Amino acid sequence: MRFTVGMGSCGIAAGAQKTLDALKKALGERSSDIPVGQVGCIGMCFNEPIVEVITDTEHYYYSKVNEEMAEEIVASHLKDGLPAESYLIPEEDMDFLKKQTRVALRNCGVIDPEKIESYRERGGYEAITKVLKTMSPAEVVGEVKISGLRGRGGAGFPTWFKWDAAAKSEGDEKYVICNADEGDPGAFMDRSLLEGDPHAVMEGMMIAAYAIGAAKGVFYVRAEYPLAIKRLEKAIKQARTAGFLGEHILGTDFSFDLEIKAGAGAFVCGEETALIASLEGERGMPRLKPPFPAQKGYWQKPSNINNVETYGNIPWIFREGGEAFAAMGTENSKGTKVFALAGKVKRGGLAEVPMGMTIREIIYDIGGGIKDDKALKGVQMGGPSGGCIPERLIDTPVDYENITAAGAIMGSGGMIVMDETTCMVDMARFFMDFTQKESCGKCVHCRIGTKRMLEILDRIVNGEGRDGDIELLEELGRGIIDGSLCGLGQSAPNPALSTIAQFREEYDAHIRDKKCPAHKCKPLLTYAIDPEKCTGCNACAKKCPAEAIHGEKKKPHEIDAAFCVKCGSCESACRFGAVLVD
Amino acid sequence: MSGINVTIDEKNCVANSGETILSVAKRYDIEIPTLCFHPSVSVYGACGICLVEVEGNKKLLRACATEVWEGMKVHTKSERAEKARKLALELLFSDHTGDCLPPCMNACPAHTHCQGYVGLIADGEYDAALALIKEQIPLPASIGRVCPHPCESACRRKLAEEAISIAALKSFAADWDLGREESYLPEKQPPTGKRVAIVGAGPAGLTMAYYLAIKGHSADIYEAMPQAGGMLRYGIPEYRLPKAVLDREIALIEKLGVKIRCNVKIGKDIAFESLEKEYDAVYLAIGAWQSAPLRCEGEQAEGVLGGIDFLRRAVQDQPTSMGRRVAVIGGGNTAMDACRTAIRLGAEKVYVLYRRTRSEMPAEDIEIVEAMEEGVEFKFLVAPIRILTENGHVAGIELQQMELGEPDDSGRRRPVPVEGKTETLALDTVIAAIGQKVVAEGLPVKLTDWNTIAADAHTYLTDRKGVFAGGDGINRGPGIAVESIGHARECADIIDSYLNGDLIPRTEQYLVKRDDLTAADFADREKLPRVRRNVIPPEIRRTNFEEVASTITEEQAKAEAARCLECGCADYGECDLIKYGQRFDVRPDRFGAEPHRRNGADDMVNVHHNPDKCVLCGLCVRYSDEHGDGSLGLIGRGFDTQVRPDYSLSKPEDHLEELKGCAEICPTGALIEKTTGKKVNTVMRRQFVK
Repeated sequence: MRFTVGMGSCGIAAGAQKTLDALKKALGERSSDIPVGQVGCIGMCFNEPIVEVITDTEHYYYSKVNEEMAEEIVASHLKDGLPAESYLIPEEDMDFLKKQTRVALRNCGVIDPEKIESYRERGGYEAITKVLKTMSPAEVVGEVKISGLRGRGGAGFPTWFKWDAAAKSEGDEKYVICNADEGDPGAFMDRSLLEGDPHAVMEGMMIAAYAIGAAKGVFYVRAEYPLAIKRLEKAIKQARTAGFLGEHILGTDFSFDLEIKAGAGAFVCGEETALIASLEGERGMPRLKPPFPAQKGYWQKPSNINNVETYGNIPWIFREGGEAFAAMGTENSKGTKVFALAGKVKRGGLAEVPMGMTIREIIYDIGGGIKDDKALKGVQMGGPSGGCIPERLIDTPVDYENITAAGAIMGSGGMIVMDETTCMVDMARFFMDFTQKESCGKCVHCRIGTKRMLEILDRIVNGEGRDGDIELLEELGRGIIDGSLCGLGQSAPNPALSTIAQFREEYDAHIRDKKCPAHKCKPLLTYAIDPEKCTGCNACAKKCPAEAIHGEKKKPHEIDAAFCVKCGSCESACRFGAVLVD
Repeated sequence: MSGINVTIDEKNCVANSGETILSVAKRYDIEIPTLCFHPSVSVYGACGICLVEVEGNKKLLRACATEVWEGMKVHTKSERAEKARKLALELLFSDHTGDCLPPCMNACPAHTHCQGYVGLIADGEYDAALALIKEQIPLPASIGRVCPHPCESACRRKLAEEAISIAALKSFAADWDLGREESYLPEKQPPTGKRVAIVGAGPAGLTMAYYLAIKGHSADIYEAMPQAGGMLRYGIPEYRLPKAVLDREIALIEKLGVKIRCNVKIGKDIAFESLEKEYDAVYLAIGAWQSAPLRCEGEQAEGVLGGIDFLRRAVQDQPTSMGRRVAVIGGGNTAMDACRTAIRLGAEKVYVLYRRTRSEMPAEDIEIVEAMEEGVEFKFLVAPIRILTENGHVAGIELQQMELGEPDDSGRRRPVPVEGKTETLALDTVIAAIGQKVVAEGLPVKLTDWNTIAADAHTYLTDRKGVFAGGDGINRGPGIAVESIGHARECADIIDSYLNGDLIPRTEQYLVKRDDLTAADFADREKLPRVRRNVIPPEIRRTNFEEVASTITEEQAKAEAARCLECGCADYGECDLIKYGQRFDVRPDRFGAEPHRRNGADDMVNVHHNPDKCVLCGLCVRYSDEHGDGSLGLIGRGFDTQVRPDYSLSKPEDHLEELKGCAEICPTGALIEKTTGKKVNTVMRRQFVK
């Protein structure tokens, strides 16, 4: 029997360290033969801290385990040899895992990310061994081509093509770079993978390095991911000791080493040319393409840049074969994709599914449906660069082409579920606020255009929208896409444009009728009391911070609109549903 | 080496390998606008102005950065490219704070280069100042004396303490010129053989003649009155504008070859049609020569005079029939001229009757003050009910007491009668100075509902071919002299284009203006009161028609001119941004952008840096990187990015050459090399001074 505790950033934030300590304490002398290990995040963020008890025959998952529960769980297993039933993760929550197909995340939540042995027990470093001993660089590129793997960072560019271009570029000095500058709000698949299985990503980079002829690799990790950086540092040290990094790896002519650069957290540095500028110590601003990084990248040398998840898939592909990977997914989108499921969904977290699964399956079968059983309104896919897929299109299969056709992008895999209480204009405003702040300032269209779009969205949600604002947003949006150098600008207008395309009537309601149908935009709300329902209990008036509610005891009260600050306190204070919001 | 074949805007071009679209286009004289490209620094690709469409490419491409390929088909002016380009420009303008031209110049109906000539006077370059004034105004000595100077009302120095005495500076420069042995005469272009007839020798007619003559056309003026000058001569009293000054300015216009035929009335002495036949174009500048009626009982009585009729008679030394007790009705400058003339002609009691209060009076304040000093009695909030008569002659006036009600269309509070409150004044003469009317009947051109000549707003054309009109006599009717001059100056270019066979209407050009400054922005300025002209004491001046105020001295002029804040952009004329903005007719206001107030301009030793005008093209940063020590860099992100100097490795003084180069490469007025000891910098000099 052994215990593991989910010790990703999410678990630790939920108190996993205390849980782990409590487990050890409860085990007392038994901890010498019953190990308590740490694992990365298994993806069920809604259940953290998660404790797994592995016996000879069974796996038991416990959710939200605090110190007291930890004691009880230990006691139960040790004394009775039985699980502490009441703390087990409910069966239906386990659907979250069961419906997934885990390739990139296969070790996350399973192995101890700080132990190379733990990785090797699960087949780690077998792929690089096989590659170095039996394959030529060209064959490696060929295998990736067979797998059909496409870049998981957002654009979905065929991975083999990049590798091939970098391999064919002249130069005795080349680089492989791992883009771990995960910046989309709500996206954390890269962090989870780096925290939960750093060796896999490193092994993927080694294989890429061998394929293109690079001897150096760089992790560009945002500084906001200290745990990922710490675990990578450990993993690199261990790999060096084990002979997987350094000179003449596994006795071959292949030499390779890795270093980590911490990025200062500018969103645009996820764009590969800006990332290179940042790596070189310059201001993080995109550069003109061509030349592409595969021709002239880091320090003007041929460089291959892939995202964390892309590299994370590589060892599996070389162990199981490209064809096995290609057997999953759809015609043009092979394999699996990790999604960060968030928003108004019952079970949020990281889910890896085969390409081609429908959005509905992900939301309902894995995510368990909409919180409080409200009505689904749409799904924002691809983060601030993506678009909104309305409810009527949720049977769209997730693959690059279908998601694009539905008006969004795959992006890095952010999936934010929205229900009837989400205001689409406000949502567009939120993302525009993000991209506007993250614009590097180089291109005019992006630098000023996103600011103007934000101002317009701001005035719409504040009830000051003007006739023609929608058209102005569309014109600006198209212009920014046309005029921007990099992906940030080229995609920044997407949330606004796609919500206008799908939910134009909500914009109209804000501008023309000065109403927010989702009752989200405060300046547009009016509060009133239904005299039929009001019992005159005075509860609302007591809660009103603006003293805007008056009325005699046991008689219907009234709200003075001139003083109402639209805080909603009255609505939550009323036990009779007498406060009307419009 | 064989070339690469590309077509740009349907033109076959042969390019070298590795050449960019922009470079090829330039060699083939196809202009692709750009703000962030300069051949002396590396390509950057930020401004998005050089976007072009390339067949087969989904995205627009940057011409500065895209290398050509065989068979490439480029469209630089496709709808999509032009739209993206215009949007970039509009976005830049929506975030660009400043004044292309100074507020004084924008406010002047003749668009006089006030900042330019004020600066030149400060620099002691009076000849250049005068020449610059005469680019717009051929009668500066006269106008400097009589103009109600909208320029000064707009002057931003008011926010610090008081406006610059722009008008006084104008007459200073003009008087200086008239006092020279050889007064300034502009160079004339070779004769074109084209002839233009001008009807009326007032400010508009004289202006038209002057600028047509410069263009090489021959201009003949027909004037109904005995002498030229129009209202400047017959409507402005001698004590404000000595006619000797006007005479000298008119003489200079005649010296240019302009012929003025006085005492000739068109329609009476010469048929209008014969002008049309004899000349290639006709310009009607007939003015507004009739006093507007009072519209009250008794108006027909003897002793009721029209304001401008009274003034005209006074100027001509004709009997005015004025009695001992005089009331002038009205609150404008004509009313002031009339009451002060009446005092000088010996009236014992002179009233000004005005239906609003002093603060609503349209007359210039100095005129009101001086009239009061001379003994004129002002009665406010009164309106004439009827003129009382005895034997058909004025004996007095009955006045209705008024009070101020709600504001009217002009924004002034409307006077409304106070029920039952009236008074009477005993009088011998009533002078109605409440406006002028145009007498255009008899001319075979279409008139407006107000009986003025109908002239097109963009071409000044009447309904007759080749017949143009301007000045007080058209459209909305009379205005101030400098407005007539402005009309005529504009119209001279239009007639010139018409005579050259291609009539070019006037266009309103986009200009960046700001209106967000307050006194707080100038709080740190040293308070320097404006110059005051020397004025003859009232008890002396009320007895004669000597010019009341004397021209300021050279010393005063220089000191006054030095107060100028130089609001207009020093780069206007060479600014690429405004050049493109005007070409693409941008409308940045449509975004409803919020003002963007950046923190602090900083002076970089020999260069002035204004981040509010920076377009972040990166030219200076690249110049400084590639040709200097990299002392300029970008700080901040996105919308708040700014260019900032970093002298951490050395002293600012070590970078003078580098910073100068940065200022030179800057496409806007964000970086301007400082001029030492001069007001007018090199760029303005190139633009203004020929």
